[in-house]
Amino acid sequence: MDVLSYLATGFAVALTPLNLGLVLLGCFLGTLIGSLPGIGPINGVAILLPLAYAIGLPPESALILLAGVYYGAEYGGRISSILLNVPGDAGAIMTTLDGYPMAKRGEGGRALALSAVSSFVGSMIALILMVGLAPILSQFAIRFGPSEYVMLMVFAFSCLATMVGSRPVKTLIGALIGLVLATVGIDSGTGVLRFTMGIPNFFDGVDFLVVVIGIFAISEVLVLLEQWVKNDLQLTPVGKSFISVADIMKVKWVLVRSSIIGFLIGVLPGTGASIASAVAYGTEKRFAEGNDDQFGNGDIRGLAAPEASNNASAAGAMVPMLTLGIPGSGTTAILLGALLMFNITPGPLLFEQQPQIAWGLIASMFIGNLALLIMNLPMIGIFVRLLSIRQAYLVPVIVMLTFVGIYSIHGDTFDLFFMTILGIFGFILRKLHFSLAPVILGLVLGEVLEENLRRALAMSGGEWSILFDSPISYVLLGATAVVLVVPTLVSRWKKQRIPDNVAATD
Amino acid sequence: MYDRIFAGVLLVLSGLVAWAATQLQVPFQYEPLGPKAFPLILSALMAVSAIWLAVKPGSDSWQMDKAVLIRITQALAILLAYAWMYDRLGFITATIIVGGVFSWMFGEKPLRAGAYSLVLSVCSYFLLTTLLQLNVPAGHIFGG
Repeated sequence: MDVLSYLATGFAVALTPLNLGLVLLGCFLGTLIGSLPGIGPINGVAILLPLAYAIGLPPESALILLAGVYYGAEYGGRISSILLNVPGDAGAIMTTLDGYPMAKRGEGGRALALSAVSSFVGSMIALILMVGLAPILSQFAIRFGPSEYVMLMVFAFSCLATMVGSRPVKTLIGALIGLVLATVGIDSGTGVLRFTMGIPNFFDGVDFLVVVIGIFAISEVLVLLEQWVKNDLQLTPVGKSFISVADIMKVKWVLVRSSIIGFLIGVLPGTGASIASAVAYGTEKRFAEGNDDQFGNGDIRGLAAPEASNNASAAGAMVPMLTLGIPGSGTTAILLGALLMFNITPGPLLFEQQPQIAWGLIASMFIGNLALLIMNLPMIGIFVRLLSIRQAYLVPVIVMLTFVGIYSIHGDTFDLFFMTILGIFGFILRKLHFSLAPVILGLVLGEVLEENLRRALAMSGGEWSILFDSPISYVLLGATAVVLVVPTLVSRWKKQRIPDNVAATD
Repeated sequence: MYDRIFAGVLLVLSGLVAWAATQLQVPFQYEPLGPKAFPLILSALMAVSAIWLAVKPGSDSWQMDKAVLIRITQALAILLAYAWMYDRLGFITATIIVGGVFSWMFGEKPLRAGAYSLVLSVCSYFLLTTLLQLNVPAGHIFGG
């Protein structure tokens, strides 16, 4: 089997001492970052990315570390959801609904253990689907020409606009801001300087890292400050209860269904863990109707569903990123940006030409999830204790790391000022209920989109009809139409369940 | 209201983008589209969405009272000061000051905030420079 030999290559990469250490480090940091209310996976990855870049890690190692933080955070988010009733990150919001009631009636240990197992099962099912699907998708994607890529991105932005954030128009504006930022700098086709305002620092473009750290991490500090309340959240005691085999048997089909839902939603461009967990929770609630439905009062099915689903979506989101170069979520947009910084263009050829990156990452995710299960079952006490770190000690560390990371790229304080300005801009966007993920997606995809558009029109001699000139384009056009219509129905349903700023930080 | 203001700014911005794009001097060009078309498309889309947002703004859920505004402005001033001090006073000094202020702003007692940020700053400096080999400024005033 081809896939098995590729996987073996992957494990050979992932099991080198450096990479193994980075998987464990990434998973540990991820769980920690996920569990601390305030900093979610996207901030964790954003803060670590410049550091990983500056200390000169090879690209596959950097990706292994950052991905570990990403899916580790999906494990960590549940801890504060269950014990504090405060979601650690956007994907863990649904976990509070049944997790916290369980903890309140003294079943905190059972809830933590069950959700850890659910997270693990969700990740594993999604990983197996990923191993099966990714090579097929990349084989298929080889046939994509410039015009198909343009249509694919139109599809991606349509998905984003209708499924993420509070209002489509705001998501669209966010993406447009990102796309405009991407046009700053020397135009690759003609060498013309665009929108640099005469500032030399902008000649080679707006630095991706500065934007990411500015609008996510710095704005996060401002949001934390705005909402600052004394940390007198009451930790619910974990208790002595633990998971039983009967619990797992009771939720086994819930896990399978939720994992598949999560994976599929993760694969869709732009939609991440918060939507995946909400949809899985809603589906299971409907399945449970009339069958001892305790949803909202500590039903173990209501705990298992979102946890399996948000972890599955984290793996699913990697699939389009690796095979098509289109990120499946906000955090994978940053991972994509990370790969581009290392001069690696993800896409169909990645699996052929640089198997150590694609398969090394996939293999590391198997190892990482195993490590996370161990970290989150016997070692859960450590994270519970770390949960009470006060913001007075945490925020200075965040601020320091953002400055260290950005300064280490160019050694220029201009970037620090620009980052701070972008921070206040990101803060305003968040306060007006714009999601920030589309901005990053626009920024990452802007150059690729423009390049492909220009290449397609060069091929046709300026005829726009080339964009709609192949079977793949028709399919994508149809998919775009579906995406523009269906979510109107979904959003009507979604509005009843989650507040409209839920997806804002995902 | 906030949405309308934002839409207005966005409209001006899209106009600026369009204007700047038409001003570009392109000496030679091999393909039909050139560097102007894509920004022009974006600015048109941006203008349309800005008008859409202005016509149908969201509700003002942002409760901005004076205390919060002052706190945010302070934080911003400190961050800008950090950026200014970073290579002049060096990482250690700048981080002691800024870390201490942030720790204090998030409710720590001044003396303990200062002590915490002193330890944090010095430990981080040696960790970042020796273990991770990062470019962390020692500070111009110390000859760095």
